[in-house]
Amino acid sequence: MQQIPKYTAEIFEVLSKGKFLCSNSENDLNRKLYGVLEDESHYELLTSYFEKINFNLEKGDGYFYFSRNESKVNLERKLETAFKWIDILDFFKTYDAAFGSGFRFSIANITVRLNTDADLKSKLKALKKFTKKINHTEAVSKLVEQLLKDNFIELEDEITNSYKVLSSFGYLEELIIAIHIPEDIANEIPE
Amino acid sequence: MDTFSTLKELLRALQMEEKLLSEMFVKRKSLEYRYEYALEMVDHKEEKIQFLLDHSVITKNDDFLELDTQYLEFFENILGVNEEINTSYINENIKNVRDNINYFLNEKNELRKYNYLRYIKNTFKKIGVSTVKNVVDLRRNINTTFKNEPNYKNKKTKLENLDRKRRYILDLIYQTESLISEEEKTFFKSALDEELNLIIIELKRDLIECSHNLIETEKQIIEFLNQIRYQTGFIEKLRKVKYLKDQFIIKDSTNLEEVLRGTNLVTFERQPSYPLKLSLDLLGSDDVFESIKAMAGRIKTQAQIKIPVADTISQDQLDTQIEEEILINLEEVKNKFIAAGNNLFDFLLNYDFLKEVPLAERLTIYCQLISQYENNFEISAHYEIYQDIEYTLVYPKSY
Repeated sequence: MQQIPKYTAEIFEVLSKGKFLCSNSENDLNRKLYGVLEDESHYELLTSYFEKINFNLEKGDGYFYFSRNESKVNLERKLETAFKWIDILDFFKTYDAAFGSGFRFSIANITVRLNTDADLKSKLKALKKFTKKINHTEAVSKLVEQLLKDNFIELEDEITNSYKVLSSFGYLEELIIAIHIPEDIANEIPE
Repeated sequence: MDTFSTLKELLRALQMEEKLLSEMFVKRKSLEYRYEYALEMVDHKEEKIQFLLDHSVITKNDDFLELDTQYLEFFENILGVNEEINTSYINENIKNVRDNINYFLNEKNELRKYNYLRYIKNTFKKIGVSTVKNVVDLRRNINTTFKNEPNYKNKKTKLENLDRKRRYILDLIYQTESLISEEEKTFFKSALDEELNLIIIELKRDLIECSHNLIETEKQIIEFLNQIRYQTGFIEKLRKVKYLKDQFIIKDSTNLEEVLRGTNLVTFERQPSYPLKLSLDLLGSDDVFESIKAMAGRIKTQAQIKIPVADTISQDQLDTQIEEEILINLEEVKNKFIAAGNNLFDFLLNYDFLKEVPLAERLTIYCQLISQYENNFEISAHYEIYQDIEYTLVYPKSY
């Protein structure tokens, strides 16, 4: 049998927590781990290795993650999470249509925009259940925290407080694309 | 309006105000060059600015000055920094060449023929140069538009316009090529000019290079447009999904549940923690003992010792109560007895104690006095009887 690659423990550590390994991560270790998985032979080997403990190693466009054969959570929780993602995604895409992998932003940028963009402001208001704050800066930080927690963005520079969108963000976009809206219903949605 | 009568005059005028003009050219994008700034540039000599205004080199608009469009375009064209791609220029040149070829063929006079030929050669040169320039500009503009245009709809429209220009340039290249190699065969046969041949070869080479470049540009523009289409398409989709979600009909009207059933990401799960028990063997080793000691030192009991507080003393208990009791002072009784000289029993029987003292108690006092002051008394050997009580006669001791 082939030798299990170095860093397997670290890879497991990250992925088993539901986090992603991204190609454009600022974290050196994460990038190194991504590099290990990118090697086709390592990928195949580890896929079968993790399969034995019921984790499927999945590959996305510039990111890796774990999934399972049988769901361990009920549909309600999944729906809840998906709804949260839709809301947050909608907010950030309204802020900038190009918000996606590799995009850089800071909380200050968004709060400045909030003062001039009524649409964005109303969307932030509608997200009260996540933000619970009236103060713009704090409310936006809460949303950013959600993305940070789910590992879709990363703090790039502590001094300027700027964040970078990771390639795992592509997963959210793919999820939205995968949702099929039947034509008759799509026709009913106002422009 | 004055006009420059000679090129010399024009060049001298431009040379004199070179500082101001180059400054204005650099700031041409901002459109806000104030008159006062201009004055500083010409050392506050208003007549200099007036001269340029009179000759329409610059125009005045309220307090602002602008380079005249004619000059601005000229400068931009010469310096190769214009952002507009002007294809009409090439088109016109092609038309001119056609006309002049006609004139050339119709003309019998050699000198005039030569003039027409010279014009044709010049125009061909120009076509080559401006086509190359247009292709380069186009490419640069596509890149800047894609990267810098903040407005989404504008970006898309601009790119589509640039794509149209690309097709137009390509069309002009084909036209020029067909003009050279197919349409005017007679002219090229009859002209027989070495320089013309060289220019044509050069032009052909330029045109081929341009069309190759345009193929690459086309690829890029298609890619950019596709990216934009993907992004706008995605945003449109997101908007619809969000709308359905906000209307609470997303579960019933889309396949979201199905999609989620199919994806079993670990991300959906709560973050697991692995509470492992400590190894007992390890805890017994000496290395760990230090850590245990350090940990124990850090632990401080949180329990607070409570000191019980006594109840308040009630007021009743603080009030003083006086109880009087008459006590018998044996010393005094003894002194009085010694002074009286009677026998002790009779003395005590009749003694006034200030209170009622029963016989039994008097008898007790009798015994107490004898035992306490035995030395002061003389106890005789005679007995007497009083109510069944036999008692010794006791007298004070006589000294």
